[in-house]
Amino acid sequence: MSEKTTKKNFGAWFLANWKNNALFSTGIALIVMIILQTIALGFNYDSFGSWFTAWLSNWLNILRNNSSVGIIALGMTFVIISGGIDLAVGSTLVAVGAITMSLMDATNGGLLGMIGITGIPAYILTILLAILVGVLLGGCNGVLITAGKIPPFIATLGAMKILRSVTQHFMQSRSPKVPNDFLQIASFKIGGQMLMPILYWLFLAVVLYIVSKKTVFGRHVYAVGSNEKTTRLSGINVNLVKLGVYALMGAVVAVAAVLQISRIGAMDPANAGSGYELDAIAAVIVGGTSMSGGKGSVVGTVFGMLIIAVMNNLLNLLGVPPFLREAFKGAIIIAAVLLQRKSSDN
Amino acid sequence: MTLEMKGIYKSFGANDVLRDVSFTLSGGEICALLGENGAGKSTLMNILGGVHHADQGQIFLDGTPVVFQTPADSLKHGIAFIHQELNLVNDLAIYENMFIGHELKKKGGLLDAPRMIARTKEIFEKMDLDLDPRTMVRDLDASYKQIVEIARALLMEASIIIMDEPTTSLTEPEIRRVFDMMNTLKDSGVGIVFISHKLREVMEICTRFTVLRDGNMVSAGDIAETSIDRLAHDMVGHDVRTKSLRRAHEVGDTVLSGKGLTLEPVFRNVNFEVHAGEVLGFTGLLGDGRSELFQCIFGARRGYTGTVAVDGRELRIRSTTQALKAGIGYVPRNRKENGIIKDMSILENGSIVTWARDSRIGFLKKKKIADAFNRQEQELHIKLGSVKDLIGSLSGGNQQKVVLAKWLTANPRVLVFDNPTQGVDVGAKEEIYDIILKLADAGVAIIVLSSEAQEIIRVCDRTLVMFHGDVCGELVGDEMNEQAIMRLATGGQV
Repeated sequence: MSEKTTKKNFGAWFLANWKNNALFSTGIALIVMIILQTIALGFNYDSFGSWFTAWLSNWLNILRNNSSVGIIALGMTFVIISGGIDLAVGSTLVAVGAITMSLMDATNGGLLGMIGITGIPAYILTILLAILVGVLLGGCNGVLITAGKIPPFIATLGAMKILRSVTQHFMQSRSPKVPNDFLQIASFKIGGQMLMPILYWLFLAVVLYIVSKKTVFGRHVYAVGSNEKTTRLSGINVNLVKLGVYALMGAVVAVAAVLQISRIGAMDPANAGSGYELDAIAAVIVGGTSMSGGKGSVVGTVFGMLIIAVMNNLLNLLGVPPFLREAFKGAIIIAAVLLQRKSSDN
Repeated sequence: MTLEMKGIYKSFGANDVLRDVSFTLSGGEICALLGENGAGKSTLMNILGGVHHADQGQIFLDGTPVVFQTPADSLKHGIAFIHQELNLVNDLAIYENMFIGHELKKKGGLLDAPRMIARTKEIFEKMDLDLDPRTMVRDLDASYKQIVEIARALLMEASIIIMDEPTTSLTEPEIRRVFDMMNTLKDSGVGIVFISHKLREVMEICTRFTVLRDGNMVSAGDIAETSIDRLAHDMVGHDVRTKSLRRAHEVGDTVLSGKGLTLEPVFRNVNFEVHAGEVLGFTGLLGDGRSELFQCIFGARRGYTGTVAVDGRELRIRSTTQALKAGIGYVPRNRKENGIIKDMSILENGSIVTWARDSRIGFLKKKKIADAFNRQEQELHIKLGSVKDLIGSLSGGNQQKVVLAKWLTANPRVLVFDNPTQGVDVGAKEEIYDIILKLADAGVAIIVLSSEAQEIIRVCDRTLVMFHGDVCGELVGDEMNEQAIMRLATGGQV
């Protein structure tokens, strides 16, 4: 009798959460995905130890490969919650990357080398300048959107084209080389594993989670996205909040750029970061953030990114041809939104 | 056609919404359906409109029992429901809106515009209405939109029309136009259910009334045999104060003043000052510019000329943030668009104004914020489950109190109330008046913007009356009465 009621209660509890709590349903989806992936990986190993090693290294691969987009998606969460969108992130990444590499080019010491700054101070200064450039580029989008009253989609679409093209033009005859020491930022090994990119991602996720939940700025972003007019009439400088959102996005992209350079050691101005904007937006949406603003979470975005990444890995393990995998990605985006719409209608 | 609803019961979960309610209506009648928010008016009409199904009870049309499964069923039986939020597409012409969903087509499947226009014209002629069916709905004022909805009901051959608070967003002349139309329909034998909070209008236009309270039918009868006071009493269950609430008090120094405030063509050369502890009214008809005037003063609109001074110091307020710093608060009109943030909790809605103040290096002081809201919750008697619930879980009156709470925690020197009792029921209205007077007693300078003369007379010490952007008169104390206000508000002299 009592067992029956607990079962019923669990069912009701599950259903209520599934319907009303976006984080809960994405979490469940992620767990299901991980179980499938684990099964697909197989249990054909001599011992638990060797199975676990294989499982772990597969996971580390997934996390590492998705760290750049994962980081960008964290910033994108703020942009989309504020009711905007940023299509320029891929181009911003390549622009910041080009500037970063030119600053400390290993072949001739770079721009910083020319004024006599080398070694560790040069690297620190480079990172700071990279973030500053990111903030400025993001801030430009913010100014266009607030002062210029241009819809975010259009402003950032323009910025996307401009930044990519200008970067390509200036980098066409140059190929700066990243100093070996700088590569350590991402490649420094812990326990024989390249964990740094994953740790940066995790660290930023925690920081931005706290910003979104506990700070005045974070809550203002939600308020602006949900009802801009009410927020303005509550004595809040809405334009400043939006400017902050795009500047933050720029800073986050700069971090991803530095990370990508130090992980790969090079950056192709034509292709690097292209498609990141859509991948980041996809992660945010699958994570339950509403495109119309006001609703969503940083944790959801991490889940969303992982769902897409794990599914990709699963398809790979199952031997699905590479060209077909994008179709599954498309399907999961649509499925996620369908599920979420159902839950908000009830 | 005669309609009879008998012994209707309806509950949602454990919540009994209607208990043994009966309602009758004959052709050629306008019957007022009255009650506070949550009394069951909408549920009753939604049952009639086929949106909900009664748990018990029956509906008879001309004596034959009928069952409505869907709104389409109900419409087929000649019952049309005109909702408060109108169902028109702004970017289509009138005739397209009239026929939306069942367009007339030519043989090839293409639209037959000439026939639709002609049919629309026929209906308009029946209604004695001179309007081109090809006009875009966007270009119509609110009353004509209401009338197009009525015309659509007639096109469907409705003989009973339910109108849910049709006058809330209309100006006085627009209300006249809709009332004339309703009278024309009444004379041609159509039965109308008129849902409204405005008892004065009910007395004027309706022939019969039914009052619901907490899901029970408390009274029904002929309008000719009742009075506003009686209706109000039936609605709230106790006597409602209709007398002025003004009291003897001392007026302090000037807190806020405006000189030569102009924003063509919205308002021009407005001068006023409001003192600590005083309740100053701004009234007039819709389009008189008072809302825009105070949005300018509050920094939410730009481009005006003239000077604003707080405590005698001239200020140039360019943003709402500066207004807040200067001690000016603004409780806006249209709560849904301007007052609340629907995705946020009651607590967040009730504290957003003070987040910046109650924080350390950008981090919210959660406890301080919660305590401050808690105090307001007690003070204002806000009825809520948990402060973490979404704001939408509250009734209109309680939502408005939350909007008030967010401003009260900011301790403003001047608080502007723009249409403070819009969409709240009679009981909550009284509570809001009490809050306004209590604030004034505590030394806050209060400005009340309202087009309800009764509201101004009840809470204000004095009032300025505006007409098309000009202040055309001031009424102090006992000079304030509906006739005097209406005369000034329509451009006349005292």
